[in-house]
Amino acid sequence: MNFADVNDDVVRSLVVTGRNYYVALGIAVTVTLVCFFFPWFYQLNYGIGAAGMNHPTVWGTYLASFIFWIGLSHSGTLLSCVLHITNSEWRKAMYRSAEAMTLFSLLVAATMVMVHVGRPWFIHWAAPYPNQMELWPNFRSPLLFDVMAITTYLTGSLIFIYMGSIPDFAAVRDRTKGWRHHMYVLLSLGWRGSDKEWHRLGWAYTFLAVLIIPLAVSVHSIVSWDFAMSIVPGLHQTIFAPYFVVGAIYSGTAGIVTVMFVLRKYLGFEHFIKKLHFDNLGKLLLVLSLLWTYINLLELFTGWYSGTSTEYEQLKYKLTGYYAPLYWEMILFCAAAPLLMFSRKFRTSFVPMLILSIAINIGMYTERFLIIATTLSRQYLPETWRVYVPSLVEVSILVGSLAMFITLFLLFVKIFPSVSIYEVKETMNPPTAKKDEPL
Amino acid sequence: MTNNALGIFADPESALAAAGQLKSAGFDGLEILSPIPIHGIDDVLGPKKSVIKRFTLFGGIFGGLAGFALAAGTAVMYAHPTGGRPIITIPPFLIITYEMTILCGILATVLGFFISARFPAIRERVYTPEAAVDKFVVTVACDTEESANRAGTVLREAGAEEVRNCSEDGT
Repeated sequence: MNFADVNDDVVRSLVVTGRNYYVALGIAVTVTLVCFFFPWFYQLNYGIGAAGMNHPTVWGTYLASFIFWIGLSHSGTLLSCVLHITNSEWRKAMYRSAEAMTLFSLLVAATMVMVHVGRPWFIHWAAPYPNQMELWPNFRSPLLFDVMAITTYLTGSLIFIYMGSIPDFAAVRDRTKGWRHHMYVLLSLGWRGSDKEWHRLGWAYTFLAVLIIPLAVSVHSIVSWDFAMSIVPGLHQTIFAPYFVVGAIYSGTAGIVTVMFVLRKYLGFEHFIKKLHFDNLGKLLLVLSLLWTYINLLELFTGWYSGTSTEYEQLKYKLTGYYAPLYWEMILFCAAAPLLMFSRKFRTSFVPMLILSIAINIGMYTERFLIIATTLSRQYLPETWRVYVPSLVEVSILVGSLAMFITLFLLFVKIFPSVSIYEVKETMNPPTAKKDEPL
Repeated sequence: MTNNALGIFADPESALAAAGQLKSAGFDGLEILSPIPIHGIDDVLGPKKSVIKRFTLFGGIFGGLAGFALAAGTAVMYAHPTGGRPIITIPPFLIITYEMTILCGILATVLGFFISARFPAIRERVYTPEAAVDKFVVTVACDTEESANRAGTVLREAGAEEVRNCSEDGT
């Protein structure tokens, strides 16, 4: 494998498109339209009552999906930044797709907010802009923190993935024709790879990485405050910020494992994504799963130790109430099953890792659902207790949001070089004068 | 019109060596185009300074001030007293300040990068597509054809696989 092969492989992944790709894209687009946009249109017409949310559970799967997608976004850019400033070589083959995952899950998360608010055509009221209605957002509200944090994170992630791709756009520009060529000419901004350009890119990229790490941590802390700043038993806890951040990185890393498997298998990136990557990601997942389990135990302990009847009731309801099967499913998928990764053999086997990573994300979705469903349906007054079950519209939109994410990702792999050309080359031996490779 | 001599090298070491020889022969306006960042390039071409860090710093400071002004200004203009607590509440406003610091820091970094690396490129510059694959290209800007020829000789002696002359319009 030499430098020219890397260019060939990556350019081929962009321009050569098989029938399977179109079939997958067709299915993803259809499911997005049928399962996401059609029910959403129905809900807009019928009113928010089409969703199963009602007093006291005024938040439902839409917000659970919102937290889930924000969480999934956490490993991409965050992990990529951490590995960049710690000079981890193994990051280089996988970070581009991980960052794309961040970007698209953020987009899907933002769409889930639109679905949740019921009247999305008034969403701009959350932004501070001069208007004749004397309407101005209240910056003391965690929801406003959320707007600021997510806008910043979306902007930052978009810029980070784009900036890291400029040299690769240039490499692809030289090899494509027609509309693709024009697109890459614009995207590469006239990159030539001169010493000055590399120097500036290195600095700017590192600064961005340093800025984005605290940002990513703040984003999910702020999402947690949407809940923790209420006085609902089970939500009003100081552990929530680290709990959400750990959960987010956990589910995001599992998401990366899933995506790596798919890229390796279907884009022919076996040379770049190797057992080493799965081994390292597996170790990371294992540590995160232990941390996540610890915080969960701590949550139970603080509930019990508080001695208040409301917290105690909440705890009992979570462990043995209506949603208990979901709780134990979550424990099985996110705390018990990941222990398999203590075995190196398991970490380096592709299919078991794929299955485990999907199971972890199912478990993590359940976690987000339970955070909302178990707490809001058991508040202070027993006469307000009511079980929440998602309606068909909500379930359909959940499925549709997954299809939307897949659609965006499928479009991404044909536009962005999904493996970083220049960073993969950096990990290889530089060419020597004697070994002359044809261009 | 400026002439440019281009030497195409197969490996980074000989490209660096050639650049060093050109520099000691008195040529200015040296550039090395490469598919990957080359380590040790500063020892040959001299250390580079970048203004990006200033952009990041001042962008961040501006963002922080703007963020706090936005939150505090809102609180003052649309006063909403709750339980006798202060109108300008520091802890929640610090979060807005923090987010805006990072947002403006990021945007300023991008601006700094574009300005200092001269992006997007408006006019054609010396380029050869091999530099994006596996070749290391040393380019020298020369005033006259004669000095371009002299630079070409130095490049050839330093082991260039190919030497080209091209004018500034990129041909």
